[in-house]
Amino acid sequence: MSPVALITGGGGGIGRAVAHRMAVGGIAVVVADYDHGAAEQVSDEVKSAGGKAEALAIDVTVAREIKAVVTDVVKRYGRIDVLANIAGGSFYTKRLEEFTWSEWKEVIDINLKGTFLMCREVAPIMQKQKSGRIINTASNYGVTGSELRTPYAASKAGIITFTKTLAQELAPDGILVNTVAPGPTDTPRVMGKESPEARRQRWSDIPLGRTATAEEIAEAFYFLSTPESAWITGQTFHVNGGVVMP
Amino acid sequence: MKLQGKVAIVTGGAQGIGRAIALGLGREGAKVVIADVQSDKAKSVAAEVQALGTEALAVETNVANESSVKQLASETFSRFGRADILINDAGIYLKAPVVEITEENWDRTINVNLGGNFFCCRAFIPSMRKQKSGRIISVASGIAHYGAKEFAPYAASKAAIIGFVKSLAREVGHDGITVNALCPGAANTAMPRTHRSEEELMQRLRSNPLGHVLEPEDFVGPVVFLASGAARYITGQSINVNCGSYMM
Repeated sequence: MSPVALITGGGGGIGRAVAHRMAVGGIAVVVADYDHGAAEQVSDEVKSAGGKAEALAIDVTVAREIKAVVTDVVKRYGRIDVLANIAGGSFYTKRLEEFTWSEWKEVIDINLKGTFLMCREVAPIMQKQKSGRIINTASNYGVTGSELRTPYAASKAGIITFTKTLAQELAPDGILVNTVAPGPTDTPRVMGKESPEARRQRWSDIPLGRTATAEEIAEAFYFLSTPESAWITGQTFHVNGGVVMP
Repeated sequence: MKLQGKVAIVTGGAQGIGRAIALGLGREGAKVVIADVQSDKAKSVAAEVQALGTEALAVETNVANESSVKQLASETFSRFGRADILINDAGIYLKAPVVEITEENWDRTINVNLGGNFFCCRAFIPSMRKQKSGRIISVASGIAHYGAKEFAPYAASKAAIIGFVKSLAREVGHDGITVNALCPGAANTAMPRTHRSEEELMQRLRSNPLGHVLEPEDFVGPVVFLASGAARYITGQSINVNCGSYMM
């Protein structure tokens, strides 16, 4: 039987690439996204490429929705081997004093609270299995900070330390918890916000000389879900072309 | 196979983690050069790699000596014609309090551990630059991050490797070469046996969050990942394989 991965934010960008990579690696993927249509499209793509997939709608900031989704996945597959928490976003670029409380909360909640709620629901299942991989998503901004993105940077830094703490809590059950911190990645969402020229200029000092594809980030997620990474836990994988070397 | 046709050089490949890496790369189809001061052991590892169905070459090498490293490079190029993956694993270890360390022992540790990285990278980068691709993986240590009582020269040399890796990554990134460090946690190898009893060692090795004793083979997966196309956007980083004993 194939291992099963639950991927939040699987409907686009990095999440979509992770769904494809894991499916190619023989993992059955449950593509969960706020946008059900997008999740279905990715699930169809994976299936037509010969992989196992299904789509689900999820809002990672709503505990009862998560409970329903996770219960449903366990009922159908009997297990969850990999949880990839990829749903997230920065949404706003503005000065701190211009953020309203609800905007601030929106960013913190989708990134940090979403990760917490997903882990809280899935960890007990992995504890019963005595195995599992949780892969959270941070950002280079979670290490360096980012002007005009205070809640995003704070939430991503929070995810790195949340990951370390959860890794310590779940290690006795053989569950590994790691973070992938992508650098600048060419996803439709960020590409839509700036011209290719502006983007090239902003990132001209990347040691590898270019931004990443979502597929390149997905490789780290896949590696962290395979037996090859069996002794890695609590760590942050910076896949960023050298833009940050913490 | 993830590394079919690639040529890899593994310094310190005659034993321990280096040997496991040499065999692991060979298993993925790479042709492997085993560079080590212990030439008999290097030859036997080369034979083991060949038995996997790929090619291998043992070259007696002192990584702290530039002419010896140049000889390694020239034998590598004359036999295989290229170099794709350089694993800087050769290292030495001595236990003594700082106030008792002789200048000679200090120099020797720094020269082998850090100087070896310097000489080997210098020897292989020009050809990687020409082919616009290459992977350099330097074996540092968790001790670089958390220190270890009575291992100051070793810790300093390993921390220096991380700084070296970051700088070199910035220098060669535009040439398609990635440079990363592997930071193993304490592992079940010959090295720590020089100063610990068997019982003390095993107890210490097991005392990590996952309760697992790290074996040399446990580092192969992460090294193959870093050496493969899958890690092409990772550079200047330290990959910590330590069962969660510390979290960076």
